[in-house]
Amino acid sequence: MERSDTLQEKMEQNGMSRRTFIKYCASLASLMALPPSAAYAMAEALGKAKRPSVIWLPFQECTGCTESITRSHSPSIEGMIFDMISLDYQETLMAAAGHQAEEALHAAMKENYGKYVLIIDGSVATGLDGAYSCIAGRSNLESLKEAAKGAAAIIALGSCASFGGIPKANPNPTGAVAVSDIIKDKPIVNIPGCPPIPVVITGVLAQFLTFGTLPELDKLGRPKAVYGETIHDRCYRRPFYDQGKFAKTFDDEGARQGWCLFELGCKGPVTYNACATTKWNDSTSFPIESGHGCIGCSEPDFWDAGGFYKALSMPADPLKMAATAAVAGAAVGVAISFANRAKKGAAKSAHETTKLEDLEK
Amino acid sequence: MPSIDQIPISIVSPDEMLTGQADAVLTEIAGMLKRLLDDGIEGSIDLRGLALSGADRVWLEKQLGRGEVEIMLEAGGWSVLTETAYPGVWKVMHRDDRDRVVAELIEVAFVPAIIRPDNGDVKKGHESLLLNLKAKTAGV
Ligand code: SF4
Repeated sequence: MERSDTLQEKMEQNGMSRRTFIKYCASLASLMALPPSAAYAMAEALGKAKRPSVIWLPFQECTGCTESITRSHSPSIEGMIFDMISLDYQETLMAAAGHQAEEALHAAMKENYGKYVLIIDGSVATGLDGAYSCIAGRSNLESLKEAAKGAAAIIALGSCASFGGIPKANPNPTGAVAVSDIIKDKPIVNIPGCPPIPVVITGVLAQFLTFGTLPELDKLGRPKAVYGETIHDRCYRRPFYDQGKFAKTFDDEGARQGWCLFELGCKGPVTYNACATTKWNDSTSFPIESGHGCIGCSEPDFWDAGGFYKALSMPADPLKMAATAAVAGAAVGVAISFANRAKKGAAKSAHETTKLEDLEK
Repeated sequence: MPSIDQIPISIVSPDEMLTGQADAVLTEIAGMLKRLLDDGIEGSIDLRGLALSGADRVWLEKQLGRGEVEIMLEAGGWSVLTETAYPGVWKVMHRDDRDRVVAELIEVAFVPAIIRPDNGDVKKGHESLLLNLKAKTAGV
């Protein structure tokens, strides 16, 4: 079957109405913190957009990022956007294997030189000249340098590609680093998370297709619209934090009442991500809603940040905070997060192993 | 061992405080209405982009009240567009095909833009109606 050239044609083939598409663009605009009116411009421009070539290279990773994206919700439209892009190389999803796959990769790179979007998931092993992680006899390090040359932009998908992630955890046996540690001359968008929120990648791709631009990024290269606030800023348990009501164990009265999980190690105050609003599993819930603190998986070096069940630091005087929280809630969060960054730094240099006692404290 | 429904866990919604953000939304809506009247410029506010507490939302809903019009739209899931007590101010809730809320907006417009069909759609509708008539005349 011949592939349609524009998304508009694809939509029509699938019997999808313009209004359905506008609704989808409204949700994307909302996620990317674009003004709601951008939904109409987005729908129009996306409808006319041509298929860009996307090359997706998996490095030191667990395939969780791919799982997250391919099992994301709204298969009808998000699937269509993925169908609409020309995914020229993705080892897990493509039918080709071996030499055939390598040929497809090189053909796509040559044909679309300077124009393709390069998606990387997984960290880059640099130890022993990259020999710890190789595909088709070539190190990831070598493949990355080659593929990055012709890329218009790079998306580092997941915490491993963005910051080194779990492969980089102490003692980092493979010399794992982030994509941005190697590539310095291309625009890179980091979409961290272990795994990242699926709709963020669609949002970034949609913005690139629509406006030919990449989203505004924070100092860690993450889209500000998604990573601009902490989990704590948007957490529904936040009023309990402000009132100094903390669960002390996972089965005490406080836990049953849904009190704040700060003392049980929640890293929400220092974690920038949108889980509290976009949620997971078809928008069912997010970890804090299921009774477990945030583990901070979208932050650099989260694995070495001192133990998932260790409280970051004690809030200065939670009861006093409650009085001012209604007016200065966000400022309180910021102050705590600065304090915790210092603590996190200390924890990093003196890595502590999580013991059973930590879980039972 | 107790069965799962005997375990006494109750998650209490903590959204009980007014943050003052909803007042700001009302003021913004008033400004948008003036722009609509003076220059015909439409505007919208993304409610999900604001850190409104549950109490803020209830308060805002109450302040905006309900008008005479409610529009149901079925396009990749249901959407409800409700006129508030202030003509020109609409509350819009889009749901996807699995009934999940995907966007929640306040739109300030004479009629929300998604309701108006565009030229291309009307043209296609016209063509298919003509074909239908032709088929009927031909006795198909
Ligand atoms: S510390 Fe964690 S559970 Fe408590 S309010 Fe912040 S993000 Fe929510």
